[in-house]
Amino acid sequence: MDTVSLALIAMCCFAVLTAFAALFTKDTFYSALYMSITLVTIAGIYALNNIQPVFVLITFIFVGAIGAVTFALAAMYRDPRPKIQVDFVWFIPAIITFGAIFNAIFGFKNVSSAFTGSEVSAFVEKYAVFALFFFALAILLMLSVVKFVRREEV
Amino acid sequence: MMVYVTLVTSAAILLIAYVMAMSSKELVRLLISLELMFGAVFLALMPLFTIPNLTTQAFSIAVLTIFTSGGELMILIAAMVTFSKKFRSISTDDVVAGGDRL
Repeated sequence: MDTVSLALIAMCCFAVLTAFAALFTKDTFYSALYMSITLVTIAGIYALNNIQPVFVLITFIFVGAIGAVTFALAAMYRDPRPKIQVDFVWFIPAIITFGAIFNAIFGFKNVSSAFTGSEVSAFVEKYAVFALFFFALAILLMLSVVKFVRREEV
Repeated sequence: MMVYVTLVTSAAILLIAYVMAMSSKELVRLLISLELMFGAVFLALMPLFTIPNLTTQAFSIAVLTIFTSGGELMILIAAMVTFSKKFRSISTDDVVAGGDRL
């Protein structure tokens, strides 16, 4: 097994461990911290496979923007006496579902494992109209959020 | 092999996030669980990048997913702040939808 494969397995294990830490930690602030580490690790898996544009997008948007807002909210609404928020009964359907997914994933036999890089220029050339509509949609979405919050303030 | 590892990791993170969402008693924790779910979805997109003819399409799907989920989370954050202002609480016990208590 080569170094990249070992690194990928290590990063996947680390991502699952930090996700578990986010679930089991008592304090919501630390939960947000572990969630950010999980997302950075997921972005790192993309970078490891030479897909840097997705790494940048996940890191900037999910960790840099939304992650920072989540941190702020978690710090603002921090419980002075934090308690563990895990309902262990929900692990039963989760484990059954994981078993079904695991079985389905290993049902596929002929899967290539060679990752190829991605080019932003090709995306922009091929999907220019898509990108344009997409940014228009994002602006409209944000405007509706601002309108919603302002209406609530009145 | 690497595709399998990625997909199994994605499924594991998704189910951890589901358990977290089901058990959460605060809206902040619900937000964190949603972000983890989206992280799992991003990881599930990885195998698309293994097909050389589909890398551009895979990248466009990734961009669409990242921005849509980002917008969705921003709306949830706005709703959470408004909820907090109105009810002076972020407890999920105070959330009502469609006349049913959640």
